[in-house]
Amino acid sequence: MMQMHPSSMNMSATDWMDAAHSTGTSIMAAEFDGGVVIGADSRTTTGAYIANRVTDKLTKVTDNIYCCRSGSAADTQAIADIVSYHLNFHSMELGTQPLVETGAAVFREMCYNYRDSLMAGILVAGWDSRKGGQVYSIPIGGMCVRQAVSIGGSGSSYVYGYVDANFKEGMKKEECVDFVTNTLSLAMARDGSSGGVVRLGIITKDGVERRVKLGTELPKFYEG
Amino acid sequence: MAMMNDSRPHYPDYSTAGAVQHSFNPYADNGGSVVAIAGDDFAVIGADTRLSTGFAIYTRNQKKLFKLTDKTILGCAGCWCDTLTLTRILNARMQMYEQEHNKTMSTTACSQMLSTMLYYKRFFPYYISNVLVGLDTEGKGCVYSYDPIGHCERSTYRAGGSAGALLQPLLDNQVGFKNMQGDAFEKVTKERAIAILKDVFISAAERDIYTGDSIVINLITKDGITEETFPLRKD
Amino acid sequence: MSSALCPEIPTPGFSFENCKRNATLAAKGFPTPKATKTGTTIVGIIYKDGVILGADTRATEDTTVSDKNCQKIHYLAPNMYCCGAGTAADTEMTTQMISSQLELHRLYTGRVVPVCTANQMLKQYLFRYQGHIGAALVLGGVDSSGPHLFSIYPHGSTDKLPYTTMGSGSLAAMAVFESRWVPNMDEEAGKKLVRDAIAAGIFNDLGSGSNVDLCVIRKDKVDYLRTYDEANKKGIRQASYKYPKGTTAIFPNKTQEYKIEVTEETVTPYTMDTSS
Repeated sequence: MMQMHPSSMNMSATDWMDAAHSTGTSIMAAEFDGGVVIGADSRTTTGAYIANRVTDKLTKVTDNIYCCRSGSAADTQAIADIVSYHLNFHSMELGTQPLVETGAAVFREMCYNYRDSLMAGILVAGWDSRKGGQVYSIPIGGMCVRQAVSIGGSGSSYVYGYVDANFKEGMKKEECVDFVTNTLSLAMARDGSSGGVVRLGIITKDGVERRVKLGTELPKFYEG
Repeated sequence: MAMMNDSRPHYPDYSTAGAVQHSFNPYADNGGSVVAIAGDDFAVIGADTRLSTGFAIYTRNQKKLFKLTDKTILGCAGCWCDTLTLTRILNARMQMYEQEHNKTMSTTACSQMLSTMLYYKRFFPYYISNVLVGLDTEGKGCVYSYDPIGHCERSTYRAGGSAGALLQPLLDNQVGFKNMQGDAFEKVTKERAIAILKDVFISAAERDIYTGDSIVINLITKDGITEETFPLRKD
Repeated sequence: MSSALCPEIPTPGFSFENCKRNATLAAKGFPTPKATKTGTTIVGIIYKDGVILGADTRATEDTTVSDKNCQKIHYLAPNMYCCGAGTAADTEMTTQMISSQLELHRLYTGRVVPVCTANQMLKQYLFRYQGHIGAALVLGGVDSSGPHLFSIYPHGSTDKLPYTTMGSGSLAAMAVFESRWVPNMDEEAGKKLVRDAIAAGIFNDLGSGSNVDLCVIRKDKVDYLRTYDEANKKGIRQASYKYPKGTTAIFPNKTQEYKIEVTEETVTPYTMDTSS
């Protein structure tokens, strides 16, 4: 995912200003029976340089809502901070946890209104008592759509086929976790700007469970 | 089919990227500085040994002085690949001269040939700061300096390369006795010339990022060429 | 616009009044003035008892060294320091301003300000200016929840890491960290590691040079080690450059004598009458 200044290989090593926001990442979210599983790789790049190899792109918004960030690191962090502020304020007024749908709507509002100056592709995922586990996809123009499974970032284009072939509605938790891990491993293996570890989050009525799959523990596929 | 030709929807809010011009630059700036001082019966030339590009160092130990004859030396700074090509052709041309005329080229002949070789590439120049030193036919020290396309100038001292602009005024004052009054002028000795040469490189290494690591100094006298190295800061 | 009654007091914030003029000049082919960019190596690590920050001391303007011994580790608060890379003016002004806001925040809350607060203030400030403020920072400090280290990029993104490097020498320095950093290092090993990382930048990156500055931040004590190591010794001068008398050209001078009359007066103190 993310970031700014061009590679330090050339003369403009300190010219962060002229840098293009590169966008390499692999993120995904999938509903299962009783909640959602979210996942992401951990690579942050600055041109060809890996500025952070243990990034956490799964960002907490409220206790029951998380987002997966792709695009410019600065933009998505700023959006997540602002949405988090709005939703926490909202839940204080409400006295209950905000709906995931509401969370997604606030994200969409930001992404749509500032679509000309933002580079952000966000997956909003969470659990609420009204609709259970939910996934909302907010791609670059600021659209918002609910999907049972959604993938994002540059690595996602390599695994659409895998997701279509293997996703089933109403999976069991561990089954879904394996599905997400496999999908991300495949994406990271093909996409040069994704890599590192797989970070996972499982959001259910009981809260959030975070897991990490180290690079050495990832499932292996055909590498010929 | 009409859809295929104009499949991209029109969004007035968004601008699409226009034509992008790509270019290739055949030159590299590998830095380095050359300083030369000539006296009545000697000529001394020094060049640093750092070869770099951008913010990176290729090597800390690259000699940039080329012995052309027993009394002529060429110092090169700038694009290293051009230096390699130029010196290779120069050597071949000097060998041809030697075989045709059955004598080695004089320093003045070398200087003239270098000038024509540079001008031959008038519209795709060698990107090099050249400083040629030696003893002329009378045994007097001389320094020839060039621009990249063959303008040649004879003088008694010269600084070229990445720190050239930093060092030349110092040589003007200390070797040329410019901006001085009274009886300050005295001819520089071999020893003083070498000491000044080392000092200007010490100063250049302080302020120019492309100059450093060490210098190789060649002294030409009627007895031949002696070589010496001197360490500089390595940051 | 400033007040009509008092026009010399400028309005707060940046002035953009020359932007249009400069754009016109640039379009006509005049070069725009360049800001001093510090080709830099700055680093930070978390060790057993806190944080160690490190920086080189070279400032460059294009290929010329403009300052051979500048300070790149800036004060933010008693428990927080911040290394700056990028545009020199931006890193200095940004850290100064955040430092003042942090002090006011400390006075207001009566507590040691958490490091994440400084991080949030810096990233929000930099994000607001969309990367035009070219400050790349390594923020380190210790608060009630322990040691913290952040890297902050000019566009306003931040990373929380146990060890980090920035600037043009960041690759050289990171190579040292990736091979030798371990959790819970003791102070001596930590300082040695940071020194070596900065030295790697100083020697292998042309934008970095001169000396190593360190700053060790612990729970109760901060050591700002200015010139912790002089990585490079300056060369020794070989010749003398004393000018003989009469070398310097001067305008013809003229001496005028003044007759001064001297009068001497002695003043003796006397005791003041304090009886009434």
